[in-house]
Amino acid sequence: MTLRRYLPHYLMIAPFIILFAMFFLYPILSGLYYSFHAWNGVRPPEFIGLTNYQKIIASRDFATAMRNLLTYVAITVPAGILVALGLALLVDNFTGRWANFFRNAYFMPVVLPAFLAATIWRWIYAPNFGLLNMMLGWFGLPSVNFLNDTGTMLYALVAVDVWVSAGFNMVIILAGLKNIPTELYEAARLDGASKGQQIVHITIPMLGPVLFFVVTYGLISAMQVFDKPWLLTGSSFTTYGGRRNALLFPVMDMMGRAFGGVRFGEAAAYGFILTVAIMVLTAAMFALRGWRGRK
Amino acid sequence: MNRMSRPSIWTVLKWVLAVSIAAIALFPIWWMINVVFAVPGEPVSLNPRLFPTSIPAGIEKIRLIFTETDYLRAYGISLLYAVLTIAGVLIIGSLAAFEFALFDFPGRRPLFGVVMLSLMVPTAVTIIPTYLLTSQLGWLNTMQGLVVPGLASAFGLFMLMQFMRAIPSDMIEAARLDGASHFQIYWHVALPLCRNALVTLAILTFMQTWGNYMWPLIVSSRPEMYTVGQVVGLFNSPLSHQTVDTVMTANLLAAIPPLVFFLIFQRKIVAGIAMSGTKG
Repeated sequence: MTLRRYLPHYLMIAPFIILFAMFFLYPILSGLYYSFHAWNGVRPPEFIGLTNYQKIIASRDFATAMRNLLTYVAITVPAGILVALGLALLVDNFTGRWANFFRNAYFMPVVLPAFLAATIWRWIYAPNFGLLNMMLGWFGLPSVNFLNDTGTMLYALVAVDVWVSAGFNMVIILAGLKNIPTELYEAARLDGASKGQQIVHITIPMLGPVLFFVVTYGLISAMQVFDKPWLLTGSSFTTYGGRRNALLFPVMDMMGRAFGGVRFGEAAAYGFILTVAIMVLTAAMFALRGWRGRK
Repeated sequence: MNRMSRPSIWTVLKWVLAVSIAAIALFPIWWMINVVFAVPGEPVSLNPRLFPTSIPAGIEKIRLIFTETDYLRAYGISLLYAVLTIAGVLIIGSLAAFEFALFDFPGRRPLFGVVMLSLMVPTAVTIIPTYLLTSQLGWLNTMQGLVVPGLASAFGLFMLMQFMRAIPSDMIEAARLDGASHFQIYWHVALPLCRNALVTLAILTFMQTWGNYMWPLIVSSRPEMYTVGQVVGLFNSPLSHQTVDTVMTANLLAAIPPLVFFLIFQRKIVAGIAMSGTKG
């Protein structure tokens, strides 16, 4: 009786739920299983307890990848969002056609595939004849091998990252700006607040939830960075990370262990370690917001 | 009127800033176009390539890359991958969104909760086991291996639900009284009403699939199944023996579909991104 009544509903959600169970729930569970096993994809998995986890945490590549990730996230997330906020405030100062034009221009890099952003920038960074080095030449400065000098590699990646992500975040912040009631600004103007004061005391606080989303989302995606450093360093499954592993990041390390080293159990464990790190950070962000909200 | 004749320092500054940032954002794309539309063999940057110099040379390069390399096949595979993914995501997602947004049935809340929870789980944890499953199914280097694992899009479901929720229940009741079946209500009432959301989701899915590098990299490892992303990656790699002209042409052609889509649908794309941020 009840089944017959609800059958049409279940039939309609069945395709989604079946695919979701197969390609999301099952992989998570099987990944957890593999993470406790040594497995090269051919011989049957062999149970080894927590060995995969211990091996990863003790490995030098993991330490390098995590150190790179920390530096990278600490630079790229704030830089990207500051630029995005600046762009949004700038575009908000234009009206009509020009506002549209500048918004679209700044958004254009977002539309490009991430792999393409990396490959185009490789040409811009190229030693000697690359665009950037040519510009350095105009000022009589020596050529820099941006993607092969351990001192500049990380910043070269951050620049590409900001070039791509600023437009994306700008669009979200712009939508947030539109939701701020104009009466607030009028009242502040009547009270004699300057433009700068209005930004600090009205715009930023009113943008709170939007900025929170942008920062959290930015953190989660930055922690899984893959395409850009992989392509900027011309990586393959056997050699990756660039000179002295200066652009080695956790997902790259994980993919290398899976497809270069054919150690699937270890790679699955890597995924869980990274996920725990991401979730702890996300939880910390939410806790911080809750704590600030209560203050 | 005084304002019109003598712009303030702020106005001048604002324009200078806006225009220079637009130049930084757009220059790499413009530069790529200029390198392609120039006589082949010209050193890439002895001059900064501010304008395209030879349109016929560019067209010839595009003809060459399609006839003398495997780029055309990769292009076809990427297009098919995108089209099938869009069709699947829209159909499967809208069916489920229709139910979750408008009806109640036992198990609705827990199921929906699990799906929404998945939005918070990073791809890093699922990609290796999903690859292993795809391989066990014998789907490596196949179109279904590329497409099927990405079809149950929790983001798509969430987005379509936001729109389905706005459908008044009177409308559904009225259709039912007119004798419409459950599926007919979905097809004739709900789908047409959220056409805008479907278009936006289709465009966002296109951008995402066309730009997906990581999944094809591991699932289509045979050259016959390479996508545009992989070919572009190989052409640009340090070991590549392609000429600069070929590489840049490949890059430009990879950029064209998303750029054209953006120029046509800019309003929808921007609104879709903004929505995912402010409501999400």
